Amino acid sequence: MTATLTGRTAPAAPSRGAAPRSRPRRRVAPYLFVLPALLLFAAFKIYPIGRSFVISLHKTVGGTERFVGVDNYTRLLGDPLFWTALKNTSVILAVQVPLMLALATGLAVALNSTLLRGRAVFRLGFFLPMVTGLVAYGILFSVLLSKDYGLLNWLLDLFGADPVPWLTDPLWAKASLGLALTWHYTGYNAVILLARLQAVPAELYDAAAVDGAGAWTSFRHVTLPGLRPALLLTTVLSTIGTLQVFDEPYVLTGGGPDNATLTIGVYLYQNAFKYFDFGYASAIAYALAVLIGILGMIQFRLLGEKP
Amino acid sequence: MELERRRVLRIGGAIAAGAGLTGLTACSGTGDTGQGGTTGEKHKGRISVWSWQGPAAEMKALVPEFNKKYPEIEVTIEDIGNPAIWDKITTGLAAGGQGLADVLHIGVDYLPGYVEKFPGGLADLGPLGANAYRDAFAQGLWQTVTPDGKRVNALPWEANSAGFYYRADLFEKAGVDAGALQTWEETIEAGKEIKQKTGAHLLGIDKPASQADAANFFQMLLQLQGTFYFNLAGDITLDSPEAVKAMTLIKTMNDAGLVSDLSGGWNTLMTSLKQGTAAVLPMPTWFGGVVEEQVPEEAGKWKVRLPPAVRRGGSTAAMVNSTHLAVAGSSKHQAAAWSFVEFVLTRPSSQVQIYKGKGIAPALMQAYDDAVFHEPSPFFSGQKKGEVFLDALKAPSSAFNYTADYARALKLVTDAQSKVLLGGADPAKVLGEAADQLARQTGRKVSR
Repeated sequence: MTATLTGRTAPAAPSRGAAPRSRPRRRVAPYLFVLPALLLFAAFKIYPIGRSFVISLHKTVGGTERFVGVDNYTRLLGDPLFWTALKNTSVILAVQVPLMLALATGLAVALNSTLLRGRAVFRLGFFLPMVTGLVAYGILFSVLLSKDYGLLNWLLDLFGADPVPWLTDPLWAKASLGLALTWHYTGYNAVILLARLQAVPAELYDAAAVDGAGAWTSFRHVTLPGLRPALLLTTVLSTIGTLQVFDEPYVLTGGGPDNATLTIGVYLYQNAFKYFDFGYASAIAYALAVLIGILGMIQFRLLGEKP
Repeated sequence: MELERRRVLRIGGAIAAGAGLTGLTACSGTGDTGQGGTTGEKHKGRISVWSWQGPAAEMKALVPEFNKKYPEIEVTIEDIGNPAIWDKITTGLAAGGQGLADVLHIGVDYLPGYVEKFPGGLADLGPLGANAYRDAFAQGLWQTVTPDGKRVNALPWEANSAGFYYRADLFEKAGVDAGALQTWEETIEAGKEIKQKTGAHLLGIDKPASQADAANFFQMLLQLQGTFYFNLAGDITLDSPEAVKAMTLIKTMNDAGLVSDLSGGWNTLMTSLKQGTAAVLPMPTWFGGVVEEQVPEEAGKWKVRLPPAVRRGGSTAAMVNSTHLAVAGSSKHQAAAWSFVEFVLTRPSSQVQIYKGKGIAPALMQAYDDAVFHEPSPFFSGQKKGEVFLDALKAPSSAFNYTADYARALKLVTDAQSKVLLGGADPAKVLGEAADQLARQTGRKVSR
C-alpha cells in the first residue's frame, strides 16, 4: 500500500555483469532471517485464508462437512439480510468516511501549525481513542447515548430540546454509529496525514507566499497535493476498515434496531458464532474480500499517481 | 512492465489484506472428539467449570463440601459471564474441544444447537451414570437432555417457570386486584388504570432489541399457549394464530402507552427496577432473587403470582427456560467432571443451598421437599413464593422444541417485534415474513 510513496526514482537494477559473485551461504542468510516471519505469516494468514475458502464451499450437516460447491455464494445473492448489511455498510462508507477524512485533514493542519501551543498533548489526545478497548468503548458510548440516562440527552435537556433516541431509532442509530466511528478513527488518520504534512518542503510555502498566495490558495495548491499519497493511504485504509466494521455496531446496537445498523462484519459474526453456519460465514468473508479488493483498485486508480 | 507488476501486486495486496482481516480463521472442524464418556478416574483429577455470575458463585460455595467427599478432585469454577459464555463455548467446540472447561453450564436455548452442530462435543453422560436420574427432574426436562432417548447430553439444573412479579402497592393505589386478573386483556385494562393513577408503565420491553433476550415476554406468551417457534416435528410455527395473538397483545399494550423501553438490556432493566418504572415484571422464577437483591428497601411492597392466561381459561403455567450442566467431550477428566455434576445436581441439599443463595429454582423435584420452598417470604408480603412456582412445575405443560435453529428464529422474532413496537407494523404481516425468511434460511417447512 505504501508503494506510491516511493517516487519514480527507483534505483536501476545493477547490470548482470557487474554483480559480485556471492557465495551460496550469503544468499541463504537473508532467507533464514525472514523465515520466522514467513512461517508465522503462512500459519496465521495464508493458511486461514485458504482454509476459509475451503470452508466456504462446505456446509455442516449433522456434524459432518458436506461439499456443496458454490451453494453458499448463490445463497448470498438471494439473502435479503446480506443486502441490508451491504447497504448499511455502503451508507456508512459514503457518508462517514469523507466526513472523517475532511475532519482529519483539518486536524492535521491545525496540529501542524506552530501557532498551537502544547501540540504533543493534542496529538496524544486525538490518537488515544484508537487504543481504547472494546468494552470501555461500549460503556463510554452507552453512557453518552442512552435515551433516558445518557449525557448527550441530558445536555440537550438543558437547552430545552427533546431527548433523541440515539440507539433505538433506525436512522439515529446509523448516525450514532457514524459518530462513534468518527471518534474512534479521526485521530488515527490525522496522525498519518500529519506525518506526511511534515514532509512537505517549507520552501514550497515560501515560494507560494512570494507569489502572493493566501492561506486558502497555499492549502489548495501546496498542502493538498503534498498530502495526496497520505490521503490515498487513509482513504484505502478507512474503506477497508469501514467495510469490515464490527466493533461499533456490536457493542452499541448489536446490529439493530431491526437491522438498521447490521454491517457485513456483524452479519458474518452472527452466522458463524450465533448460528454455527461456518460455511456461509466464510462465503460472506470472501464476498467482502472481493468487494474490498475492487474498491481498493478503484481508489488507487482515482487517487494514485498518474503514470 | 515494472509499473504493471507493481499494480498487480497492489491489487493482490488489497485483496489479501481484505481476506486476511476478514477471513474467518479456520474455525470449523467437526469437534468430533467424544470419547464415549469414560475418560479419567471418578475420584481423582483437576477439573474446571464454566458458568456465569450467580450460579458460578453458588457452585463455588459448594466446592468445600464437595472436597470432603472427593478430596482428590481439584475444582476451579470460572465466571465467564452471560452472554459471553456462549461465544466462548462455541469457539471451543468449533476448535474440536480445544481449551474448553471440563464442565459447561448451558442454557436450553443453546443446547440443541451445540449437540447438533458439534456431535461428540459434549460427552455422553449415560455411561457415566446419568440414567439413574431419569425420573428425578421436572417433567419434560429429560426429553430436553436426551432428545434421541439414547445419548444423555447434559443434566438439568434450573427449571424456570413463567412468573408475574408485581408492585402490590401500585396495584392497590390504582384500585386493581392483581390476584383476580385472569387474562392478559384484563391486565391491559388494569395497566391503563395504573398508568393513569400512578404514572407507572405496565411493563417494559427492550423495544429495539438491543439484547437477544428482548423477546422473552413474547416467548412467554407463546409458551403459556403451549406453542413455540417450532413444533415438535421441527416445522416453523412462527406465524401461528397463537403467535399473532401474542404479538397483538404486545402491540395493544404499546399503542396504549403501557410499555416502557428497556433498550440497553440488563443494566436498563435494573435501573428501571430501582426507579419503579413498571408495575409488573413478567419474569421467570430466578428473577425473584434479583428483585430482593436490588430493592431490599421495597420489602412488603412486592408480590408474585403466575401470569394471567392468554385466553380465558387457558394455562397460567409454562416452563420458560432451563439450564443444564454438560461435560465436554474433549475433557480428559470426564469421570471426575461427572462426579461434580452429580454432586451439584442430584443431591437435594446442594440444590436447596443454591436456592437459598440466589433463588435459583431446581429442576430436581426431590429438592422441593425442603421446608425452604414452603416458607412465607417477608419480602414478597408473606407469600409462599416457592410454592407458587412449584405449582407451575407440577402443572401439565407442553414440551418445547428449541431446535438447532433457535438463534436464527429468535433474531427474526426480535426484528419483527421491533418493527411492531417502533414502527407500529402489523403483527400478522411481520410474523408471516419472519416465518418465510426462516424457512429460506434453514430449509425447514412452515406449518400453516
